[in-house]
Amino acid sequence: MEANGLLYTHEELDAEAAKLLAIAEKKGASTWQMRVKQQTPHCKFGEDGVCCRICTMGPCRITKKAPRGICGCDVHGIVGRNFLRFTAGGSATHSDHGREICHTLYCASPDGAYRVKDEAKLRAISKRWGIEDADTKETYALAHELALMGLEEYGKVFGTQKWCLDASPDRIKAWDEAGIMPRAVDREVSTALHMTHMGCSSLPEALVRQALRCGLSDGWGGSMTGTQFSDIMFGTPMPMDTEANLGVIKEDYVNILVHGHDPSLSEKIVEYAENKELVAMAHEVGAKGINIAGVCCTANEVAMRHGIPMAGNFLQQENCVLTGAIEAVVVDIQCIFPALGPLSKCFHTHFITTSNIARMPDSEFIHFSPENADKNAYDIVKMAIENFKNRDKEAVYIPQMKRNCTVGYSCEGIIKQLDTVTNSQVDETGTYQPLIDCITSGVLRGAVALVGCNNPKVRHDRGHIDLMKKMLANDIICVLSGCSAQAAARYGLMSKEAKAICGDGLKRVCTLADIPPVLHMGSCVDISRMMNLVCDVAKQWGITTPELPVMGCAPEYMSEKAVSIGNYVVSTGIDTFLGVVPYTNGSTEVTELLTSGIRDWVGAAYVFEPDIEKLGDMMIERIEEKRRALGI
Amino acid sequence: MTLISRVFSGADQWYDQASEAINNAIAKYGEDQAVAFGDTAYSVPCIYAMLGDKIGTLGEAKALLEGKIKDLMTRNLRVKDVFTNGVAGALCCELIELVKYIEGCPYDKDPVIGHLTDAEIREIGLPLVVDDIPGVAVIIGAAPSDEEAKTLVKGYQAKGIMVFMVGEIIDQCKRMNVDMNFKIRIIPCGYDLSSVIHVVSVALRAALIFGAIEPGDWDGMWEYTMKRVKAFVNAFEPVDDQTVCCGAGAIQLGFPVITNQEDNIWSIPKSLIIQKDTSKFEATSLEARDIKIKFVEMDIPVSFAPAFEGEIIRRKQMRVEFDGSDPIQNGFELVKTLPLAEVEDHKIEVIGPDIDEMPEGSKQSIACVVEVAGKAMQTDFEPVFERKFHNYINCLEGIMHTGQRDLIRIRVSYDAFNAGFRAKHFGEVLYAKVKSDFAGVVDKVQVKIITDHDLVEQHRKDWAQAAYNARDARLESLTDENVDVFYSCVLCQAFSPSHVCVVTPERLGLCGAVSWLDAKATNELDPTGACQIIGKGGVLDEEIGSYEEINEAVCKYSRGALEKVTLYSIMVDPMTSCGCFECICGIEPCSNGVVIVNREHQGYTPLGMTFADLASMTGGGVQTPGFMGHGKTFIASKKFMKAEGGIQRIVWLPKALKEELHDKINKSAKDLYDIDNFTDMIADETICEEDPEALMAFLTEKGHPVLGLDPLM
Repeated sequence: MEANGLLYTHEELDAEAAKLLAIAEKKGASTWQMRVKQQTPHCKFGEDGVCCRICTMGPCRITKKAPRGICGCDVHGIVGRNFLRFTAGGSATHSDHGREICHTLYCASPDGAYRVKDEAKLRAISKRWGIEDADTKETYALAHELALMGLEEYGKVFGTQKWCLDASPDRIKAWDEAGIMPRAVDREVSTALHMTHMGCSSLPEALVRQALRCGLSDGWGGSMTGTQFSDIMFGTPMPMDTEANLGVIKEDYVNILVHGHDPSLSEKIVEYAENKELVAMAHEVGAKGINIAGVCCTANEVAMRHGIPMAGNFLQQENCVLTGAIEAVVVDIQCIFPALGPLSKCFHTHFITTSNIARMPDSEFIHFSPENADKNAYDIVKMAIENFKNRDKEAVYIPQMKRNCTVGYSCEGIIKQLDTVTNSQVDETGTYQPLIDCITSGVLRGAVALVGCNNPKVRHDRGHIDLMKKMLANDIICVLSGCSAQAAARYGLMSKEAKAICGDGLKRVCTLADIPPVLHMGSCVDISRMMNLVCDVAKQWGITTPELPVMGCAPEYMSEKAVSIGNYVVSTGIDTFLGVVPYTNGSTEVTELLTSGIRDWVGAAYVFEPDIEKLGDMMIERIEEKRRALGI
Repeated sequence: MTLISRVFSGADQWYDQASEAINNAIAKYGEDQAVAFGDTAYSVPCIYAMLGDKIGTLGEAKALLEGKIKDLMTRNLRVKDVFTNGVAGALCCELIELVKYIEGCPYDKDPVIGHLTDAEIREIGLPLVVDDIPGVAVIIGAAPSDEEAKTLVKGYQAKGIMVFMVGEIIDQCKRMNVDMNFKIRIIPCGYDLSSVIHVVSVALRAALIFGAIEPGDWDGMWEYTMKRVKAFVNAFEPVDDQTVCCGAGAIQLGFPVITNQEDNIWSIPKSLIIQKDTSKFEATSLEARDIKIKFVEMDIPVSFAPAFEGEIIRRKQMRVEFDGSDPIQNGFELVKTLPLAEVEDHKIEVIGPDIDEMPEGSKQSIACVVEVAGKAMQTDFEPVFERKFHNYINCLEGIMHTGQRDLIRIRVSYDAFNAGFRAKHFGEVLYAKVKSDFAGVVDKVQVKIITDHDLVEQHRKDWAQAAYNARDARLESLTDENVDVFYSCVLCQAFSPSHVCVVTPERLGLCGAVSWLDAKATNELDPTGACQIIGKGGVLDEEIGSYEEINEAVCKYSRGALEKVTLYSIMVDPMTSCGCFECICGIEPCSNGVVIVNREHQGYTPLGMTFADLASMTGGGVQTPGFMGHGKTFIASKKFMKAEGGIQRIVWLPKALKEELHDKINKSAKDLYDIDNFTDMIADETICEEDPEALMAFLTEKGHPVLGLDPLM
């Protein structure tokens, strides 16, 4: 343990993971650690992004001796096209999640499976979007109207994304001038695919520009819809205490793992885990009750709205099953290892897929739809209970390691917390001013949005944790989402006691505001919340977002979604530091654009640096540079 | 310019100033010149608290300045550096002030007080804990006008807030005739900004005394002061770099700074607050430090606040005096329990002439009779309420109250009288306070203020004396053996987090303020509050007063910090103390007896130590066998160090204390050992001070019984 027993060390957590790996070996199960070995070294052409498979004349691979593809496209065009396609994949994925949420909201009814929990938010957004009588219209009529409008944002014929109006004025101006104001969500994805088709764009500048635009249609389009409409239905998260790491799996309970991203499923599973009839059924089979634990962003969604414990992040999904104590892994979409199918076969575990988007071999498919949500959820929970008797109790091994954490700092949650440090004799409430005061006075040096996935190229969670510790020691507050948030939670960094490892400034802020030093803002879709945060802080402060001493960072990212996110974060004016180089190394021009050229368009750019220590130093230096420029 | 650069610049200026002061002093007095503030057991207190170093000479001061203090002045752009530079600046201030004390206290003939003694800090410990002093204001600089200065200071005083002043504000108050002294909790620290360190010294010694924080425990210090010392700073513009540096030190300790300076200053939530409107300083400050003032509505024409308790009304200022100790006039106060039907709530009767009908400067009779009724009321609570009258009436501005029962004396000043104060207002205050303080057991209250001489005399006999006699009999009958339960008291834990008092009929709380009956009442009023019932089960050793249930209770209420205490021994697991004890006893090795010294006594004891030195041996909830803090009246208790032979171990007491307890000690000694006039055998400072041989000679001459007892160790 570190810091007087507050934090787990890498070694302690690695030791427990090693025990689970030994179980896997004994069972003959495949794990990602084994598969990484089989897959390395990785294809260098692929890694550099210089392999083009877009038409069947190839595949073409660019080398010194063969500097152009068969069509004549040079390496910059190929790398640029691959980068844009990668972005489009991510943007489509996040945005489609948002679309599903729109659909769920459209199905909401007063006595149905889904209801409106945050009516104020529903009315506020409706008003901003110009719905008539938004203050007085019947709740569900309004919800349906708004849901429809949300859906229309995906295919609108004219105009740009409505959410962009919430951005700071400097952003709107920059996007307009750079020609990247996002139009219909689906259109930006289509345009990306069209531009990268054989015989279309090979000009790096045009491809990168569209990558930013396609990213913006995610962050200020589909993702934003996913976040905001989820809040309307499931409630806007507020600070809440829960626990994290494998120790939250309970030996004497029916354990159901919810995994994926779309809260429409997990919300219902959580609800039915408390269903009296099903709880009684669990007792009948000899369990003490039904325990839900989350993995990946689903964990974030249900933790911040219900305090459901978080078993682990992306690279822990297999470990959960390896405990032998999971009756069912219930998944929806995104980041689900196909490996879970074969792995679950080594145990009694049911691997239940629920979405047409994510169909996998070796799974039991129960199509989950908003229209049948109650029955679907009931059936799934029941299946898990009935499976309890099949558990090999002798073979169960649950590492007894978990940490307390406080989660659920939505923008509204942060402002509410900031209100507690205002003085009614001089301050207004309901603003970010206290945060701005902390930064301008130097109590906090700045903020870093630490986000993103896990990637075996970086030792599991070390990029996240080592960077966080470095930032905290330097009085830089971190806002987290996705797998980064869960890393912090399971190490203990997301507990209020973790202020002990902070610099004196951040420690004081944590003490006075009663917050942990890293703030959980939600799932990866919720990085949209961070965009609202930076724009609203800039507006309140009276400066532009690129002037803020705020950085974005994804040290261990792996998915297309992460690149799409990176593009919208950079476009929102926030320098973004990546610990894994995207597949762009093959092109000096694309690299130059991403790390420097785009600064002329959006005021921010990327930094790629696999050395985590260096990456941290560079962020701190950049923050100090911004402070000097502001004269603070 | 940034806030951080201003702090660094301020620290540099402080360093240069301290360096110059010390070098000049060395040139004049030499490096070996002794330096000390005096009347403290904590060396040069802030330096000792923050760094753990004791310094006694100018040479040591110089070495510390150029070594450890200079080392604190790091220059990274981080709050850690802001804090270490702030503390460095503060410690420089302490050295600058220290040099002023080379030839004794430099402030003797001025309202300025400078350094406060350990005894004074211990005296304010209890009021701080029970929120009689709900906060501490430190005002620096000059208010925009003399009137505003007075309004601010008096405003704080009226709410019980202790006020420390630095700089021009002192002269502003002087010009406005604001009384300034320790007793009324308005304390001018000094005209130089460096004198602000005397307040910091109080806060840090509180951490050492009550919190048992180890000297040099940097984090322990600020965590204690931030959580438990509700101080804040009001700094009037212009705020220079040196003030900003001091502000950083204050903020490090958790004390927010409120200023009206707007240029070159930066807001920090809850820490540095810019309030342009100085008339809102008070409200802004109280909110910034989360100070909630307990406010009881009462219809009176003068202020009511604990700060006025220390106010003295001299004969010349006096409109009228009521005197129960006078051979002709009479006075008493009494709480009577009546059936519910016989009490009309908030009925206040004045029987006899009112104050404006009395000759100026005359002596008069008065009876303050508070009649209460309540379903949960017990007659045992009557004296508990009644003893608070002193405090209630004394809190009135311009009114002075001393004594209790039928020995009371009350003076009403011209100021109070001219403000409209009349006899019925005694009734209003007593009504409001009894009703609110004891709401748990009192449903209805009515008050009779009797000023008719004959009627007072009549009721003194038929009501008061009868009640006093009955109560005395009840108190006599209460022994540790014949009650079923004891009480824990953790009133002090706000300040001394690991201390627990065990209160028994024969052993009152060490602060002197909580008797067994008080504890019982406190428990009835708030069953989950500071006083909890402790059973007497599991007798381990009756002689030393060791019980399983008591051990379990102290363990529970100290959250594991204490495992066991005994009731009657000072050698085996003695009871701990918070630090606000009235007296401390320590063993005197030559005689095998004990020396007891009370807080008020300034001189040395035969142990070669003062009260402050002895007191620093214990406190903060720590057990130190051989030393024990306790209440005054416990000295005459038959249970006082019963395990070691009882009061016959007492070999030395300050003369004043000996006289105060004369009859009680003699009675106990007679009962216990059949010794007459035992107090004559006890030495005091007139017989020996700091001289064990003189003590032994005296004891031998008197045939003191301790000489025949077994050694203590």
